[in-house]
Amino acid sequence: MGEISMGKFDVINSRAVRVDASDKVRGRALYVDDMKMAGMLYGALLQSPLAHAEILNIDTTAAQRLPGVKSIITHKDAGLVKFGVSPARYDETIFCHDKVRHVGDNIAAVAATDLDTALRAVSLIKVDYRELPAVFTVEEAMAEGAPVLHAAFPRNITAEVQDEFGDVEAAFKQCDLIKTTSLVNKRQDAAFIEPQGCIASYDFSGNLTLYSSTQSPHYIQRVVSMVLGIPMGKVRVVKPYVGGGFGPKAATNHMELAACLLSMKTGKPVKMNFDRQQVFMHGRSRHQFFHHMTTGVKKDGTIMALKHDCYLNGGAYASFGIATVYYAGSLLGGPYKLPAMKYHGYRVYTNLPACGAQRGHGGVIARGCWEQQLDMIAQELGIDPIEMRLRNMMSAGDVTCNYLDMSSLGMKECVEAVRDRSGWKEKKGNLPPGKGIGMSCGFFVSGAGYPIYRSDTFHGTVIIKLTEDGGTALVYTASAEIGQGSDTTFAMIAAEAMGIPLECVRLESGDTDFGVDLGAYSSRQTLMTGLATKEAGEDIKRQVLEVLSEELHVPVEDMDIKKGFIVFKGEKPDITALRTRYIKEHRGWSDNPAMDEELSFREASRMAFLSRGSIVGKGKYKPPILGGQHKGAAVGTSPAYGCSAQVVELSVDEGTGKINIEKMTDAHDCGLAINRTSVEGQMYGSLSMGLGEALFEEVKFDDKGRVINDDLAEYKITRALDMPAIEPIIVESNEPNGPFGAKEVGEGAIMPAIPAILNAVADAIGVRIFELPLKPERVYMAIKEYKMKKEKEKGIEGKTLAGSSQKQA
Amino acid sequence: MKKLIRVTVNDMEYEVAVKPNQTLVDMLRYDLGLTGTKNGCGEGDCGACTVILDGTPVSSCLVLAVQADGRAITTIEGVEGKDGLHPLQKAFIEKGAVQCGFCTPGMVLSAKSLLDENPGPSEEEIREGISGNLCRCTGYLQIIDAVKSVSK
Amino acid sequence: MSLPEFDFHAPGTVEEACRMVAGFGAKAKIFAGGTDLMLDMRRNRISPEHVISIPGIEELKTLEIASGMLTIGACVTVARVVKSKEIAAKWGALCAGAKALGSCLVRNLATIGGNVVSARPAADIPPSLMAYGASLVLKKTSGERVVSINDFFTGTGSTAMGPDEILTRILVPEPPPHSGAGYVNLGIRNACDINILNVSSYIALDGPGGAIKDARIVMGCVAPTHVRVNSAEKLLIGEKPTDALFQRAGEAALNAATPRGSAYSRASAEYKKDMVKELTVRTLAMAYREAMGR
Repeated sequence: MGEISMGKFDVINSRAVRVDASDKVRGRALYVDDMKMAGMLYGALLQSPLAHAEILNIDTTAAQRLPGVKSIITHKDAGLVKFGVSPARYDETIFCHDKVRHVGDNIAAVAATDLDTALRAVSLIKVDYRELPAVFTVEEAMAEGAPVLHAAFPRNITAEVQDEFGDVEAAFKQCDLIKTTSLVNKRQDAAFIEPQGCIASYDFSGNLTLYSSTQSPHYIQRVVSMVLGIPMGKVRVVKPYVGGGFGPKAATNHMELAACLLSMKTGKPVKMNFDRQQVFMHGRSRHQFFHHMTTGVKKDGTIMALKHDCYLNGGAYASFGIATVYYAGSLLGGPYKLPAMKYHGYRVYTNLPACGAQRGHGGVIARGCWEQQLDMIAQELGIDPIEMRLRNMMSAGDVTCNYLDMSSLGMKECVEAVRDRSGWKEKKGNLPPGKGIGMSCGFFVSGAGYPIYRSDTFHGTVIIKLTEDGGTALVYTASAEIGQGSDTTFAMIAAEAMGIPLECVRLESGDTDFGVDLGAYSSRQTLMTGLATKEAGEDIKRQVLEVLSEELHVPVEDMDIKKGFIVFKGEKPDITALRTRYIKEHRGWSDNPAMDEELSFREASRMAFLSRGSIVGKGKYKPPILGGQHKGAAVGTSPAYGCSAQVVELSVDEGTGKINIEKMTDAHDCGLAINRTSVEGQMYGSLSMGLGEALFEEVKFDDKGRVINDDLAEYKITRALDMPAIEPIIVESNEPNGPFGAKEVGEGAIMPAIPAILNAVADAIGVRIFELPLKPERVYMAIKEYKMKKEKEKGIEGKTLAGSSQKQA
Repeated sequence: MKKLIRVTVNDMEYEVAVKPNQTLVDMLRYDLGLTGTKNGCGEGDCGACTVILDGTPVSSCLVLAVQADGRAITTIEGVEGKDGLHPLQKAFIEKGAVQCGFCTPGMVLSAKSLLDENPGPSEEEIREGISGNLCRCTGYLQIIDAVKSVSK
Repeated sequence: MSLPEFDFHAPGTVEEACRMVAGFGAKAKIFAGGTDLMLDMRRNRISPEHVISIPGIEELKTLEIASGMLTIGACVTVARVVKSKEIAAKWGALCAGAKALGSCLVRNLATIGGNVVSARPAADIPPSLMAYGASLVLKKTSGERVVSINDFFTGTGSTAMGPDEILTRILVPEPPPHSGAGYVNLGIRNACDINILNVSSYIALDGPGGAIKDARIVMGCVAPTHVRVNSAEKLLIGEKPTDALFQRAGEAALNAATPRGSAYSRASAEYKKDMVKELTVRTLAMAYREAMGR
């Protein structure tokens, strides 16, 4: 545990400079809107101003007449092939034909010679609507006789999940304390700084190339192919640099499909972008969750059972929602020993923009609800909340009641680290009023165990080709660098696996021509693409050593490649002939090796080429069959789980209710840190997002279903002045199923943030809050009510001298 | 009707014909091809389009291109000097202050303006100096660290 | 989303600007810092045929203190006010308001005049100007007039300024000895936030340790315009400053506030009223501390 692995590796487990940083600090890195193509047209979307309405007629004649307009498309051109995220719930078409289901639903698109013309044309398209009654809340949507968004889904239920593991009711009978609480959040927005954009280019040989700000080139390629009826081999999706994703960019959007169709119609490249308002109208970020949980424990704090109900306000389409509603239940299986768990979840359609996946998919609010409840239980039992968590903690090799296998689990180490480094023992219970300290744990998948469509596909394939001159390895992967640093991670893994320095690796990613990779979601790439990369690197090493073995008559197993040089385990063979041959090829070159130098990888890989032609290494990864047999068992499975613990210290201004987060101590078990700087970057970023969600963030709607804060002024994310000091602690548990022991950090690190803040706030003000965000008003009102209640109690207590000394309401 | 303006960008003089309703960020990106200046919100909220206008960092989406007539602008492309990267750029690379990179140009320009005016800012002043630039990836701490490392 | 089409004008002098304003009337909008105007145009809330850009007019950028009067040109940026040591020393509450406005990027463009003329009840500059008893110089082709900022705001987004007038400068008298002021704004985040509520308070003492002889309390976000709290001011005058007195003044402010507080506003009426009290008490305490120190 800890940093045992330090020094074992030559490239990984270090602090590497990102391979893309030099371009990014110069403003040279190209994002999709930075690209321009000859003859390029500009597209714009016509989106619904109404939340629920029948489309009676679409009249494009005035728009057609506008000079500069090249193509206008509606459902008549686009067809009605349904798509979405889960094939079981394909419920979207490129354009609406019968009715619109949310403000921002897509009706038509225009391509024109410039953006202003395209926008003007859009404003000239006349749509006749018949407004329908709309539903915006879960209660409205599920009410008897409520308007239905999708005919096939009565009561607007996208998906209903019922699971029971163990016997919850029987377990409750053995409990000394049973506690019920709830938590509700508000819909979030991922608020990546780069709005979605794309350029589609259809050529006259029938090939379609789509450049897009996406998290998953592969999924987009599949949907484009399916919806537009073009063979996958003729659809290429390329991801330039992407300005953040966090979930919503993992699914195909209508703009991508519209741009493709417009390019096919016009024979010209077509660029389209969302503006910030459209980012909000498209949505696909974190759902609003209504959690209701009952937990039973023994006197000593042993957790016996959890009964959990949850409703998700999902918006107009399913998107990732089925996975979301399953995750919301399944991710409570760990990291505590929990013998029995019962879950009932509903994902509900409403006339709002669709929700989807966002960092910590499905599990964040559930974790918030449960970890606050566990804190309350600890308090009632008089057990320190950290002690209670440690008593219940799983350890490596444990399997949860819902069949999730904790193949490695540095959870205990994380908890102890944050406890000791934050000074928990001295602070907890000893802080002045208005100051609080709180903690929480969390865990998350290192990649979904199954693809989003049912398939035996590899989740990632990687090809490494050595340049024919030797010395440079070209790594090709379709994985998605979206800011998290995956390109650097895979370049490092490849270098380590081949035994060469990082500078000798050149990596290209994000292009479906490079292979299959499911992309950047579910914290999957480090483990999954990482394993494929490692396998490809080892394949290269084997091939190079095989040729050397033939040349030098040394068995392969007696050789290795390290730091770019060949290492001979036994006696060093005579390399004179080989080196002479290499130098002869390079007459006049200034960097030829001297005769007494070690044999380099560059020479060896040149020999390999001369002997075998192009040296290509291949790697692939597919998880083994994981999880249980119950319905929905796939969601939550993963080859490994990352975990984390956090302590938050804060103060509350009781006069205004304003919270000031002062310090966060965060420990994350990422198995093994490939790039320590990037691991810490993911931890900081997760905490920043968790802080924003806990304190500020909520997408608000008016009574017509329009987003009223569709900008980054009124949708409030964390700014530099809001960030507390953070002490990051990396814990390394050496995951057996990960590349060199590595597993996730990208999403797991957000899990404890909200509950740790909730618990710290309760510690500061003496009262629990069950609704997010913790904006000043909510906190102030909670304090006010609590004080009034206490005043009243004091009156009674004064007479009886009894009453509880409990701090909690 | 387009208006011809004369503007100095990164020490180069340009004559550009711009429409009255064109924003400075659009002119820089689409007319001059200086795409290092990013467009994140169009409403002055995110700071991705930060440029230094006559010595002052501003959101170039809130400035009309015509208003740049006769003025001097530094974009991210002009930060690198004859001797290579600006110390801030180096520090951003070394400290892990770059993730998706979309906020990076604006962030570097805000930080540069801050240091040009106040070479030894306190941490609070650094935070204040980049408070107009949103970053969703890093949580800012590595950025603050980078700026601190080149402060005097 | 792009901007509507308009003609652009950049007058070189105030006189020229006045002529344009008079000529175009309601078809024109003045571009000072642009931080509000650009959003209104982008969001299609307004689409002027003419945009008159004035930040280039030198005369509107004067910032001077002479014979007991601070004169701020309408196009002085908020950032300049934040950085002015003289303003911080004598008009601390104005400086605090300026510092609270947006981010440093916004402050570099936004002008003091713009923040006043746009007449938004959540604006950061007007409360302290009102507390200090500022007046505004409005100019048109036929001459200029001076109006008290107290009489300037007529509603959200509307003012006493005529369609042919331009705000040229703001006059803020130097606070007398033994006086002080405080400004507090409450947002959700630590910076760059639109206010839930803001209050500025000013008191002048009748000598050190003396009674309060003058008081002005201004609150924002509780009515269509910033409002003075006359009842609280009256209650203070003639009294010796104490915590209990400030509490009573806060209570009076709470009672005077009539926030609407709908499902869509930034806070409920109940919270806003409670915060009026809290911030009134806090700003009075700040004002008192300053008054005792000078």
